[in-house]
Amino acid sequence: MLEKTALLSVRNLVTRFKSVERGKWITAVDDVSIELAPGEMVGLVGESGCGKSTLGRSIVGLEKPQAGRIILDGVDLSTLSGRTLRERRRAIQYVFQDPYASLNDRQTIGEAIAEALIIIGVVDKVEQRRRIRLLLDQVGLPDALADRYPRELSGGQRQRVAIARSLAVEPKVLICDEPVSALDLSIRAQVMNLFLKLHKELQVACLFIAHDLALVRQATTRTYVMYLGKIIEEGSSGELYAQPSHPYTRALLGSIPTADPRIEASRAPPAIFGDIPSPTNPPSGCRFRTRCPDAMPACASDPPPAVELTPSHRARCVIAADLYEAKGGSVGRNHYAGA
Amino acid sequence: MTAPLLQARNLSVDLFTVRSALRPVDDVSYSVGQGETLAIVGESGSGKTVLNFAPIGLMPTGVVTDLHGSLRFEDIELVGLPAARMRRIRGGRIGTIFQDPMSALNPALRIGRQIAEVAELHLGMTSVQAEARALDLLKLVRMSDPESRLRQYPHELSGGLRQRAMIAIAVAAEPKLLIADEPTTALDVTVQAQIIALLKDLQKRLDTAIVLITHDMGVVASIASKVAVMYAGRIVEYGSVDQVLLEPRHPYSTGLIAALPRPEDKAGTLFRGLPGAPPIMGAPQPGCPFAPRCPLVVDYCTDVRPPLAPAPTGSAAACHVVNDVPHREMAHA
Repeated sequence: MLEKTALLSVRNLVTRFKSVERGKWITAVDDVSIELAPGEMVGLVGESGCGKSTLGRSIVGLEKPQAGRIILDGVDLSTLSGRTLRERRRAIQYVFQDPYASLNDRQTIGEAIAEALIIIGVVDKVEQRRRIRLLLDQVGLPDALADRYPRELSGGQRQRVAIARSLAVEPKVLICDEPVSALDLSIRAQVMNLFLKLHKELQVACLFIAHDLALVRQATTRTYVMYLGKIIEEGSSGELYAQPSHPYTRALLGSIPTADPRIEASRAPPAIFGDIPSPTNPPSGCRFRTRCPDAMPACASDPPPAVELTPSHRARCVIAADLYEAKGGSVGRNHYAGA
Repeated sequence: MTAPLLQARNLSVDLFTVRSALRPVDDVSYSVGQGETLAIVGESGSGKTVLNFAPIGLMPTGVVTDLHGSLRFEDIELVGLPAARMRRIRGGRIGTIFQDPMSALNPALRIGRQIAEVAELHLGMTSVQAEARALDLLKLVRMSDPESRLRQYPHELSGGLRQRAMIAIAVAAEPKLLIADEPTTALDVTVQAQIIALLKDLQKRLDTAIVLITHDMGVVASIASKVAVMYAGRIVEYGSVDQVLLEPRHPYSTGLIAALPRPEDKAGTLFRGLPGAPPIMGAPQPGCPFAPRCPLVVDYCTDVRPPLAPAPTGSAAACHVVNDVPHREMAHA
């Protein structure tokens, strides 16, 4: 339904890595399709090892996908190569998790940003200076920081610099991989608010890769939930959080402790078993079945269908409609969208 | 109630490196009773880790640590205790759990051996006895397939299983006190819930006291009985978990708790947070370290250090302004 308006459309993407075991492959991203409308804030959540970062890295070209298409602004990036590919892909920028590792120790902040400006052809020193000042101002940093080194900055300031540098090339899409999880609690809100502000002012679309579900719920309009390389549920953030319709999403949401000791005293952890299985040899049928409290024999044989709960909300689980209805939703039966 | 298991009185820690002198812990007092859990909450640089690890001799090499005040564990004064005696207590009656199990475990030793080592050293077991105990401990921490885990190396385990192995090592010598530094921060939420449930269960069965260092208010709410909020090396609020989380008094704790996203917050609305940046660890300051970021600041906050004063009802807070309020409110009542 977003087809015609999509700015970025990822279709049936597959990214595999060679395993340490000879002849084996790890399929980190397995037949994933996602979409981003212009200026949209979208969340991508899942546990570590589910492939969410690999998906983000494949989109910007840091990993080479084995199959699938990445369509940006109507142009299929997989048909391009060399210079044209680099220029096209510049519209997608990446913000890394660790602002201590993503900046060069030996470059001043100004030099780090200037490098991005040179790439887009801004070589005039005066113009560079002007743009750097503008970019630093956009991310809420004083101009004087341009002559400082990363080591002189706090984590929050570094992450702002990293954001300023990705904005330097005027991207249409920002892929933010856990952009605040390395930051202190009291600083997180400041950086999240910066993303919200930039999104509003520059109309840049964001794919927010995160494990902090509360953060994603408040920042984004739509959310994808990923498990072992597959998108298992997607929907508008509000509905996904109110009516999670995949047992995994429910377990994920149920695992977040609240800050209220009265609630926590009586709350049992959700019934989810063990850790995420190895992606070298994923379970047959539904990949979540080994940890699922509702698993039944049918789950082992075939991959579950994508059940369409509303036009924008679907979950890959045989009992998705029941779970949705149990949370107060109503869904016309037999509205299966197919696999 | 008898004397608490662990009691800190006016504990300060000074660190001297080649380049600088710091006071990461500044005049801190708290106590933990048997079977109790004290959560120490603070941001990076608040001194929460140094507070717990400097007294038991776990500091990086090249740093000279100077302790003042008193920290009593059972009937032993830990401040000034010779290193040889400390070694017998650490890993024995005081167990430790670290944030990152991958760097805390020995990558070249099998899990079973690492657990057995503790039992041999602190309980005087033979290696055969100790290996048997290692198996029991893996069952105690509810590790799946414990027999084969004994023979595995840390890199063969997932993050959650590694953390279980580290907990097994920590409880191997039946400690009276467990110090857990961000034990779930490196884990996923689903695994975090399992590890917290495990810690609670172990605490009940072994009657251990836990000092839990964390920044996650959700973790605090689910396990702690008492909370100490640290800011710039000082305890700024101290009370029961209900007092601190439900009716915080210090503006810093109030701000931190208010900053947590709530289900009723609409999508796309701004996040609540604290202005400014956390303090940089350095020399002790004369006034209140939170003053530059505080919404309630008054002129003498920067000059006069607020004492950690107990309120008639509620937690103790180190704040000039909120400690004045109850008197006024009581006049109304």
